[in-house]
Amino acid sequence: MTAVLIDKPPTARPAPAGKRARWRRAVPGYVMLLPFAGLFVGFLVWPLLNALYFAFTDFNGVRPPSWVGLENFGRLWFEDQRFRTALVNSVIYVACTVTLTTAAALALALAFRGTSWRDRVMRTIFFLPSVTSTIAVMLIWRWIFSGERFGLANTVLARFGADPVSWLSTPRWTIPLLVLMAVWGGCGYGMVIFVSGLNAIPEELYEAGRLDGANAWQQFRYLTLPQLKPVTTYVVITGLIGAFQVFEAVYIVFRAVSSVGGVQDSGLMLVPYLYDMGFTKFQLGYASAIAWTLFLIIFVISMIQLRVTRALREL
Amino acid sequence: MQARTLAAALATMLLAAGCTTTGAGSAPQEGADGPAELLFWNTGSDEQAAAMQAAADRYRELHPDVTIKVQAIAWDDGHAKVLTAATSRSGPDIISGGLSWGIEFGELGGMIDLNRYDVSQARQQTRPELWNSITSPGGAVYGIPMDMTLYVFYYRPDLLQKAGVSTPPATWAELFTAVDKLKASGVPTPLVEEWGTFEWLPWFNYLKQAGGSLYSDDCTQVTINSEQAVLATTTWADQYRRYGVPKATVDVGAGLAKGEYAMAIGASYLAGGFDSGQPALKGKWQTAPLPTGPAGAGSFVGGKIVGAMSYTKYPQAAADFVKWLYTDEAVEILQREVFTRGGELYISPRPELLAKANASDNLKQTLQTTLDSVTGPPNCKGWETSGAEVSKRLQAVVNDDADPRTVLAEAAAVMQGNLG
Repeated sequence: MTAVLIDKPPTARPAPAGKRARWRRAVPGYVMLLPFAGLFVGFLVWPLLNALYFAFTDFNGVRPPSWVGLENFGRLWFEDQRFRTALVNSVIYVACTVTLTTAAALALALAFRGTSWRDRVMRTIFFLPSVTSTIAVMLIWRWIFSGERFGLANTVLARFGADPVSWLSTPRWTIPLLVLMAVWGGCGYGMVIFVSGLNAIPEELYEAGRLDGANAWQQFRYLTLPQLKPVTTYVVITGLIGAFQVFEAVYIVFRAVSSVGGVQDSGLMLVPYLYDMGFTKFQLGYASAIAWTLFLIIFVISMIQLRVTRALREL
Repeated sequence: MQARTLAAALATMLLAAGCTTTGAGSAPQEGADGPAELLFWNTGSDEQAAAMQAAADRYRELHPDVTIKVQAIAWDDGHAKVLTAATSRSGPDIISGGLSWGIEFGELGGMIDLNRYDVSQARQQTRPELWNSITSPGGAVYGIPMDMTLYVFYYRPDLLQKAGVSTPPATWAELFTAVDKLKASGVPTPLVEEWGTFEWLPWFNYLKQAGGSLYSDDCTQVTINSEQAVLATTTWADQYRRYGVPKATVDVGAGLAKGEYAMAIGASYLAGGFDSGQPALKGKWQTAPLPTGPAGAGSFVGGKIVGAMSYTKYPQAAADFVKWLYTDEAVEILQREVFTRGGELYISPRPELLAKANASDNLKQTLQTTLDSVTGPPNCKGWETSGAEVSKRLQAVVNDDADPRTVLAEAAAVMQGNLG
């Protein structure tokens, strides 16, 4: 009898009484999760599914939606010139912003990775934009690039005898200014992530490299960068998602010169365009189609990024 | 354990129930004298809302069972807030907002057609150009004008005289001659535009002064691609390209006070803030009607509408209050309170009451003259969607030296498409 008990496989189903006891132990946990689950479903899952449904309707916000099938997506992808403008602007903006922010963040992390007072102070200074009110920051940018003589940028130009520039109402300046604002505001956050990544690299690797005769550049190229690959992937993907969702900079800074999108749509991005169609022009069905298109774009690019990173790791 | 689980589930349900809003699900209650409790979202400043509350309090004295609570909502997000209210069918009973909001929200089903509550008196008292702007193509009136904003020509007589300009410019030619003379006399930016600075609004003034229009009177044809519009566009673009008018919004009061600007084409609401905001400017500024073009005078008139939301439980009481705002007593209260609380000028949609406004004789004279040649925003289908598109094409003339005929043809195509 005893031998039979010992030979019983460990994966055997527990007695019904044990299962009930485990269920009883788990129930309070699930109940305590209910408020969060309710909020999660009510304020995230349900709106997402609702938006997906609206994307196939002509919903205007007030009258009941009627089903139009793929019409919104057809119009968006094949007919809408403004959407193409917004998409091209977004891609240029994202490429410039993510590249420059990542590079600046890594450079800052390498410069201020230590534990000295100087490094801590510098890290704090560069991180400050990440915890500052976005609205306040954008209003300051608007003042810096004001077309009037008192605008900071124009005041500096005047010192060199140059005429004031209409920064915000000159289309060729729009994307560079937006990129500048984004890099300034985002590199501190990336720096902190990179610092933690840098400090996690074992010192033994560098010692081995130095013994093998590697100079500083070779250590950075063949040790630091490969070791930082997971961190870099994180910084790039989160930066990419944030850059595609840019809204405040376009909406607040360029509000001084034009309606949504800046002068001649030079700063029109996907989210401001979504807002314009949904809340200015009441085309909520169409705006939902833009939202889901934006989701698909970010999802595909993130998947490609992850895939490329994994492929590089396997090389 | 089961009791605790049940209690937690009940608590969650109660929490969820507490988070839900109470919509206006019950049947409308007719009767202008109430009882009714109305919520009024007044788009604009806190001071303007307080002035409206003073008017609402007087209304309550006349109708003791009708309580009206006025809340201020900002211009920046007011449009989206009203849309959210219309969508959720909960929120204010009465709203005020841009002149075009009535048709916009009304056509969506969010506002009541006030024709049901007989607004003929208000129609008779309002300038026809303004009334036409708030009447939908189908004849519905979803909001009646609450106030007016007019374009005014502001200037510094001392700077003009110093530059050899004895009177405010009365024509386009005189305007641009004055700009050249002021520039030569050392004024860095002789002329600035305010109110829709680099968008279609200032251009619309030139369009009217050149004799052009956006649509035919019956809204069947787009007329933006006319020779008059080409002239207007060229002149409008030249003010930026040749005469240095800033393309971004500027602080008119500060610029005039410092002598950096000598002339400004801006909205009438600016006048109220000059003396209080810029004490150095007190007594140094004057106004005149906008310079005329080849077709004479003409300018845009804007302002706010006030109307009742379609889901209100008290449509009769709401409509009655909206109509009461046209009475002599209400206008007098608003003129006084808006000026007292915010130092601003309230211009009633009843032009005959302009004489009682808190403004200098010079400003009242300017406004009175301007009123004779104003045009409101088009009420034609699709203009709300087309306006921004037109602006962007006009901007290309200034920034890219695009041909005015080409951009106007493109704008016409967009407008025709939206017209249906």
